[in-house]
Amino acid sequence: MITSAPMPESFSRKGLQSLPLARSFVTVVLSTLALLLVCWIFAPSSLSWGALSGSLPFAAIIAIVGLGQLLVVQQGGFDLSLPGAVSLAVVVATHYPQQNDALLGQAVLLALCFAIAAGLLNGVLVSIFRLNAIIATIGTNALLYGGVFAVSGGVPSITTELLANIAGGETLGLPNSVFFALGALAVVSFVLKKTVAGRRFEAIGANPLAARAAGLRVRLYQMMAYVFAQLLYCLAGVLIAGITREPTAFQGDSLLLPSVAVVVLGGTSLLGGRGFPISTVVAAFFLNQLSQFALAVGVPYSAQTIIQALALGFGIGVYSVRWRVNLKRTTGSKNVEEKK
Amino acid sequence: MKYASLVTALGVSAAAAAMALGSAGAANAEVPSWCGPKKATIALLDGYGGNSWRQVTTASGKQTVELCPSITKYEYADGQGDTQKSISDIKSMAAKGIDALVVFGDAGPAVLPAITSVYKSGKVIVPYRVNVGGEEGKNYSKFIGSSFVEDGKSWGNWIKEILPNGGNILFLSGPAGNSQGLDELKGMKEVLGAEYKFVNPEPFAVTNWDPALTQKVLTAEIAKNEKIDVIVSDFGPSLVGALPLFEKQGKSIPALATSDGNSLGCFWQENHEKNPDFKLFTVATGNDNVRLAVEWAVALATDGKPPAEEIFKAPVFENSVTGKPNAVQCRKDLPGAIYLSSELPADDQAKAVGQ
Repeated sequence: MITSAPMPESFSRKGLQSLPLARSFVTVVLSTLALLLVCWIFAPSSLSWGALSGSLPFAAIIAIVGLGQLLVVQQGGFDLSLPGAVSLAVVVATHYPQQNDALLGQAVLLALCFAIAAGLLNGVLVSIFRLNAIIATIGTNALLYGGVFAVSGGVPSITTELLANIAGGETLGLPNSVFFALGALAVVSFVLKKTVAGRRFEAIGANPLAARAAGLRVRLYQMMAYVFAQLLYCLAGVLIAGITREPTAFQGDSLLLPSVAVVVLGGTSLLGGRGFPISTVVAAFFLNQLSQFALAVGVPYSAQTIIQALALGFGIGVYSVRWRVNLKRTTGSKNVEEKK
Repeated sequence: MKYASLVTALGVSAAAAAMALGSAGAANAEVPSWCGPKKATIALLDGYGGNSWRQVTTASGKQTVELCPSITKYEYADGQGDTQKSISDIKSMAAKGIDALVVFGDAGPAVLPAITSVYKSGKVIVPYRVNVGGEEGKNYSKFIGSSFVEDGKSWGNWIKEILPNGGNILFLSGPAGNSQGLDELKGMKEVLGAEYKFVNPEPFAVTNWDPALTQKVLTAEIAKNEKIDVIVSDFGPSLVGALPLFEKQGKSIPALATSDGNSLGCFWQENHEKNPDFKLFTVATGNDNVRLAVEWAVALATDGKPPAEEIFKAPVFENSVTGKPNAVQCRKDLPGAIYLSSELPADDQAKAVGQ
């Protein structure tokens, strides 16, 4: 932890504050544009409207879980309970109503209750009992999977017609899930950047000790990060339940790594502090388009995996190099660089 | 007891016997030839029991065991996808004094040492469906495989019937390199000539049998390939969520050769009129593989007569073009996650999957 780094000082310097935002945003947007160009040259089919409208729902899902993970990462934590949380929301939204539209509302409420309970559990373990976030959330994940088995017995169930229409339908030519992702983005961005609570939340993430000295309720804010993250996972789970007609009981498993990847690609430090929600959502689109590109070029599966890993490594690599140069130049302080 | 009471019933009245033959009770009464006179105990060991296919399979295995009155005790253990637990399950069942073990060795060769040690201690042990390596008589009593090459041939023959002049095939299977997919491809290639082109990356498009990934893969393939004449998939039900993508992109759902599932049958019945090219052909999804394995294990443990077959061949189940051997089946009142091809009655399956 870099709790003693001179962050408060840099926070007070406006010029520096605006630079990293621009940099992270510009980096991820440029990477995305470059990827779109490569797609256009080598795999134009991945940019056809049919392909985009088929794959955008999955980008939206990654964006939503990425926003959840972002909140936790901003507090210097890690949320490994994401797979269990998403899977639980999926099975509650499919098994509870048993294809009866009238019960869907209750099912979603039930899923929200589970999400809040899981978030509070994570939050209490990490912020009050001071458990390591990775260990605490792994435990919660196991608990959530217990819930998944209790609800579903591991068996998939078919989704309700209503949910399939809401989550899988289209409005104004765009998949509905994209609107959900944009809505989540708007809320997270507004609260983080334009409200007092949000500003405090970021300050606490940057330096909990200093924030505590300033009289902020550090533990409460850290706990709420886990609760809001769970609410976002729940939203993602309910959407998956609608998008895939017969989701498995383990649908969250494949989302953990992408959720962390988009947070990092979006420019948020894994040590906590400032968060970049818009860049995170753009990164989610980038990551999804990357996998569609790998599928569309039609190379063997091994090569698909390598292409994705290389592009991701390249993206993160470019990003961290520039970040380091930036720190050296702007602060001129060796001290800060070492602490990174 | 049951046997004795049947003999009495037969003796008392011919009419009663005729009624018994007409009812389901007749199957219970007739002791099958694989069930010998020696008393024995049996256990079914699953490497991973957490999906509907496994639950139906387990229920089928139990029902088969119940046909043999010489079996005095039946036990079940679920390895929960954990290789360590699967190994300790196998060893502890043997230590508990169970005479015959039927093993679904999901972990493959990793469970072979445990199987071998149980076999060497003089028990009957029959791994089935997943190849665990080793050889019969040295590592285990008998291995009851499933012929996926045969499935591939059945699909290939049907594709030749509906597309006699060749066409574009999209083949979807599970995780990269899984032997089931490779065997199925081998079967198809034995039947299909060069005029049939596989448009997927070699050897098959990887879906991990995950409906979300299937949807992504299909999105990319539909956009990339102007013309897909037939989709071959070894897990039909995971396609149900993805098939509407064709309509979204303004195309008809193409012909589909796959394995059966209630949700898939119902999907076909609802959508085939809107999609003129949507023909459906399924092979049985293979829940009954366990029956053959149980029959072998019981025969060896009770000194019964072993079945004639050594490999489970999944029969053709549905064909929407000819209606033979069956037209497409759908039971709307029952869960989507059951398999009407299974010998286990549909209502019992619904109970087994807990819905």
